[in-house]
Amino acid sequence: MARFVARRVLWALVTLALVVTIAFFAVNLLLPYDFAVGIGQRPRAIEQVRETLGLDRPLFVQWLDYMWHFVRGDLGESYDGDRVSSIVLNVLPVTVAIFAVGGIVAYLLGEWIGRLVAWSRRRFLSAATSVASVLLFAAFPPFLVFLLTHFGTDWLFEVRSWFGLTVKPYAPVPAGPLLNVLAIGLVAAFVGGILLRSWARKHGRRALGFVAVPVGILAFIASLLALGVWADAIDLMLWPSAVMATLALILIAFGESMLVMRAGVTAEMTEDYVFTGRAKALPERDIRDKHVAPNAVLPAISRLITSVPYLLTGLIIIERELNLNGLASLFFSAIESGNVPIIIGILVVVGLIGLVLRIVLDVVQATVDPRIRIEGEVA
Amino acid sequence: MTERTADPRFEHEIEGWADTRRKIRQSKMVIAGVTLLGVFAVLTFIHPVLQATIWSDRPAVYRPETGHDPTISHPSGPTLDHILGTDPLGRDVLSLMTYGLRPTFLVAVATALAAGVVGLVAGASSAFFRGRYDRLMTHISDAFVLLPPPLIFLIASKRGLMGPFELGLLYGLFFGLGPAAIVVRSRALSVMEKPFIDAARSVGGGPRWIITHHVVPHVIPHVAVVVLAGVVGALVTQGFVEFLGIAEYRYGLGNLVYNALTYQAVFGSGVAWSALMAGALGISLLAASFYMISSGLREVTDPRRASRRI
Repeated sequence: MARFVARRVLWALVTLALVVTIAFFAVNLLLPYDFAVGIGQRPRAIEQVRETLGLDRPLFVQWLDYMWHFVRGDLGESYDGDRVSSIVLNVLPVTVAIFAVGGIVAYLLGEWIGRLVAWSRRRFLSAATSVASVLLFAAFPPFLVFLLTHFGTDWLFEVRSWFGLTVKPYAPVPAGPLLNVLAIGLVAAFVGGILLRSWARKHGRRALGFVAVPVGILAFIASLLALGVWADAIDLMLWPSAVMATLALILIAFGESMLVMRAGVTAEMTEDYVFTGRAKALPERDIRDKHVAPNAVLPAISRLITSVPYLLTGLIIIERELNLNGLASLFFSAIESGNVPIIIGILVVVGLIGLVLRIVLDVVQATVDPRIRIEGEVA
Repeated sequence: MTERTADPRFEHEIEGWADTRRKIRQSKMVIAGVTLLGVFAVLTFIHPVLQATIWSDRPAVYRPETGHDPTISHPSGPTLDHILGTDPLGRDVLSLMTYGLRPTFLVAVATALAAGVVGLVAGASSAFFRGRYDRLMTHISDAFVLLPPPLIFLIASKRGLMGPFELGLLYGLFFGLGPAAIVVRSRALSVMEKPFIDAARSVGGGPRWIITHHVVPHVIPHVAVVVLAGVVGALVTQGFVEFLGIAEYRYGLGNLVYNALTYQAVFGSGVAWSALMAGALGISLLAASFYMISSGLREVTDPRRASRRI
C-alpha cells in the first residue's frame, strides 16, 4: 500500500509540473495584452515597467523562472507586486466552503435518488429523472441563478427571520477568521458524517447510517454554540448570496451523479448475486443497500471527482452572478486588467484541488479494490 | 458505411456496425436528441427565409439587432405578429434567437471537430505505439483534464480577437487532449488486444493501415460519446461569454438573456420572460440535445448495458 501511495504521489508531481507549464504557456500566449501599456503612456516608461517586471525576457526564460519559484511553493508576484499565493488564499475559503458543501450534498442526493429510481424500475420515474438531469446538466448558470433569486429570495428571508436575522442584499461574504473556521468546520462535519454513515452501513446499523450526516452537522452546530459564535456564524451560513450559490451548484452537480448511480445500479441488478440474495429471501432493501449500491457507488464518486475542475468553473460563473467574493471576483478582475500571474495562479489552484481529490480517490479505490493496487492502473 | 460492409473485403473488419446502428435507431435518448438537434438546425437556417417571406412587409421591424416595433409596448408576450414576443428594447425575439443561434452552432461544430480529431489522433497513437510515447501522452492528458477548457475559453475570449469558430477550436483542443484522449486510449488499448490486430500484422499491415482500418472504426462511437458531452460545456461557456458582453458580436443567445435581465431592472418593467426563456432555453436545449445523443450512444456502445433500456 505504501508503495502504491508513493507511486501515486510521484505521478501527481509530474502531472502538476505539466499543469503549471501548460497553464503558463496557455495564459501567456492567449493574453499577450501588455500589462505595462496600461500603466505608462510613453514608450520609454512602458519599456521600463516591462524590464522591472521581467517581461522583456524570452518566454522560455520566464517559464524557467516561474518553475524555479513554483518548486519552492511560490506562485510568484502579481503585476501589482502582491504575492499571488496570499491573494488566492484570501478568496479561497468562500469558494471551497460552497464547493465542498454543494458538491457533497449534490452527490448524496444524486446517489440516493439514482438508487431508488433504478430499483423501482418505473418507466415514468426513469424518464422524468432523465429529462430533469439532462436539463440541469445543460442549464445556463446565469438563468439558474436568476430563477433562484427571483422565486427564492422571499423564502430565504423567511428562513433567515426564523433565526432573528435581518434582510441582506446579495453582497460579498465578509472575510475573516470566522469564515475560515466555518469553511473548515462545515467540510469536516460533512466528511465526518459520511465516514460515520459508511461505517454504520458496514456494521448493519441502518438507523445510525440514515442520520449520520445530520448528526455530523448537529455536532458542528453544537460546537459553534459551545464556542459562543453562534449568532455571527448563522448569519454567515445563511448569507443570501452564499446560500443561493450553494443551491445553484447543487442543481448543476446533482444530475450527473444521479445518472451515473442509476446506470450503475441498473447494470448491477441483473448480476447473479442479486438473484442469489432473492433466493435466500433477503429483504429487498438489504440487497439494494448492502450488495448492489456499494458496487455502483465507486463509478459515481469517480465521475464526480473527475468533473471537479468543470464544476469549479460552473461555480465561478455562479459566483460572478451573485457578486460573491470567491475565486470568481479575482479571476474576472485579473482577466480585465491582464494580470497574467494571478490567472495562472488560479488555474494552478483549480488543477491542484482536482489533483488532490484524484489522489484521495485513487487511494480509497485501492483500499476497496485490491485489483487496482496490484495492477497499478488508474481506474 | 453500407457499401463498405457489403464489400466482402471489409466484411470482417467492422463487423458489429450493423448491430450498433440498429441499436442506435432503437435508443429513445438518441432519437430525442437528434430530433431536438434537427429542430435547432432548421431554426438556425430559417432566419433569411423568414426575412424574405413572412417578414418582408416590415423588414425593419424584424431586423435582429436594430429592429423595433413602434406599434406596441415592450416587452410583450407572444402574439401573432411576434410569435415569441419582443424583448425590452422592442426587438422580435424569434428573429434574435434564430440569428443568435449561428455563432452557437459554429462553436458546437468547431468544438466537436477539434476535440474529435485531436482526441482520436492522440489516443489511438498512444495506444498503438505504447512505450515511452504512451507514458508521455498519458501524463499530458492527465494534466489537460485538470485544466478546465471553459476557463481557457473565458480567458481567450477576453482578448476579443477570436471569433466563435476559433474559440470552439481552442476548447476542442483542450478537451481533445484531455478527457477525449483518455477515453480513446483506453478503448483503443482493448481493441489492440483483439486477435484481428495480430492477423492484420501477420499479413503485413503497417501502423497507418492498422490504425485507420482497424483501431479507428472501433473507437469512433466512443469518441462520439465523449466529444458530444464536451460540446455541452462549450455551448454553456459560449453563452456566458455572450452574456458577459466580451464576445466580438452582440446578437448571441447569451446577449438575449443579458438584455432581458438588465433592461428589466433599468426600465422597471416586468420580467421579459419570452426573451429570457428563448435565450436560456435555446442554449440549454441545444446543449441538452448533444448530451442526449452522447448518453444514448454510451448506453448503446457499452456492452454491459447493451440490451437494457435507459
